[in-house]
Amino acid sequence: MRPENYEAQRQPPSHEYELNIGPNHPGIEGNYAFKLRLHGDRVIEGRADAGYLHRGFEKLMEGRLWIQNLAITPRICVPDPVPMEVSYCLAVEDLCGLEVPKRAQYLRVLQLELSRLASHLFTFGGHAATTGMYSPSFWGVADRDLILDLFEELCGGRVYHIYNIPGGVRRDAPAGWIERVSDTVDYLETRLPDYDNLLFKNQVFVKRARDIGIISQEQALDWAVTGPNLRATGLAFDVRRDDPYLVYDELDFDIPTEHAGDAWARALVRRKELFESIKIVRQVLAKLTDIHGPIRCPIPNPLAWNVPAGSTFTRVESSKGELSWYVVSNGGERPYRTHVRGPSQMHAVQVLERLAVGARIEDVAQIMFSLDACPPEVDR
Amino acid sequence: MAEGKELSTWLDNLLTELEGIEIRRKSSRRLRVDVAADALPALLELLRGRASYVHLSAISCVDWPQDRQFELVYHVWSYEMQSLVSAHTRIAREPGLYISVYDIYPPAAFFERDIHEMFGIFFEGSPDMSKFILTEWDGPPPMRKDFDSEAWVNEHFDWQDYNPVWLQELVAQGGGIAIRPDEQRFSRKAGDEPIEHAASGSASGNGGRQ
Repeated sequence: MRPENYEAQRQPPSHEYELNIGPNHPGIEGNYAFKLRLHGDRVIEGRADAGYLHRGFEKLMEGRLWIQNLAITPRICVPDPVPMEVSYCLAVEDLCGLEVPKRAQYLRVLQLELSRLASHLFTFGGHAATTGMYSPSFWGVADRDLILDLFEELCGGRVYHIYNIPGGVRRDAPAGWIERVSDTVDYLETRLPDYDNLLFKNQVFVKRARDIGIISQEQALDWAVTGPNLRATGLAFDVRRDDPYLVYDELDFDIPTEHAGDAWARALVRRKELFESIKIVRQVLAKLTDIHGPIRCPIPNPLAWNVPAGSTFTRVESSKGELSWYVVSNGGERPYRTHVRGPSQMHAVQVLERLAVGARIEDVAQIMFSLDACPPEVDR
Repeated sequence: MAEGKELSTWLDNLLTELEGIEIRRKSSRRLRVDVAADALPALLELLRGRASYVHLSAISCVDWPQDRQFELVYHVWSYEMQSLVSAHTRIAREPGLYISVYDIYPPAAFFERDIHEMFGIFFEGSPDMSKFILTEWDGPPPMRKDFDSEAWVNEHFDWQDYNPVWLQELVAQGGGIAIRPDEQRFSRKAGDEPIEHAASGSASGNGGRQ
């Protein structure tokens, strides 16, 4: 909200004060404000204030063709855009009954996992920065950039790829790209011990992150926490394995868990997921050299595409948690209604407001980043 | 473990306890349930309490003005059964009042607040119905089908000439931007003076798309 519309509490108790964090602050990767009421260094109450990134995507999508909406979907979550594209495409494919060729499915999984790697690398950096350590953020962003280079070569876009379309992907991998992905992944694996030494064995970080923002498993289930934040409480749930989509049921990967449920456990789960994603990428690369064929099934003229009436609910596992679309078609050339449910809609609002209570002020930014919330997902 | 006997016995129990619900199996992990508005809280309580559907994935709202109804869809997931139930219900568009399921599913608070803001449905018993995303908005609920973004823009904002230096230079060279009148998406109010675009004069004839 605009500053002139902010109403401070009229007569606060003398020991209390209010502090507005944001909309720009180190705790989150976007514009998102958090209003705190404090007693000394302790938070008494926290209120999330969203809306700085609201672009009305759901309304916009009702006025655009099915194919045009692909340009909107990745913009709903900037650090991890691929799951948005893929899940929207899955919804359209489900409504039309399209069968996506195997090669396209593997290419999608490859993208999804590369995007997960990029997003986790970004999150480490941010999380470390909230504890005053800036080297991991430089390293993380630099390594993420290598993945963005791969995306650029694949589809021309570094952040917004728009590489998926309903029915498959736009074009096949360029010559030599598979080898370059393999090289990059090998390089990233050699970096993992460095990250461990820099961050995960670093007592400065460990001591700051332990016992901060604890979520018990019961609370996590009550508050609809998903993704790495849920796995950090000990529940091994992953949409990729338990509600499989694409070809994840043909791939071999583990679901890392931790039990403490604090910021440290969440960081550790992401660290372990890096390794699992690398494992998946290698399997997919091996499959891609064997599986040839079309990368897209035949689709109608995309500019005059009447998607059959119906509704569908698709969900995928993004790097932040469960991401789902509810898409309704009335048989027209534009969606009748699209509703996106991002994991951050829970993490950045209800969960954050609850976890902030009782925390010390210097830990608030860390709690926010350890939840890995993405403000544009909340605002849409 | 989700398929087969377990799910079907659960379904039977559900059917016997609630009347007037329609169940459709969409796939092995997706179930669609159509239920009357007054029976929905009972259904959700049953799903959560007795059938392990503890995770409220989302509440979606769809506006059907021709039926004068809102459709509310509650998507709930069971970690044990590994299946997702979408419970569809319809409420009257006027006055747009419904009951909150916050006491059954705490995450409903966010979705209900969002639907209240975007569709104008009031959820009785929801902990917070204050504005969240559209803090400065005082117009009608924008996600309703009868809310016309173009009309709102025409009514509340002035059109401005867009004539930057680079465009002037382009026009001086005989180029410019050409927009066919029938392609202009944001049509202006009837009776408006035509806007003098830098490109609309000499440039529109020879520039732009052919």
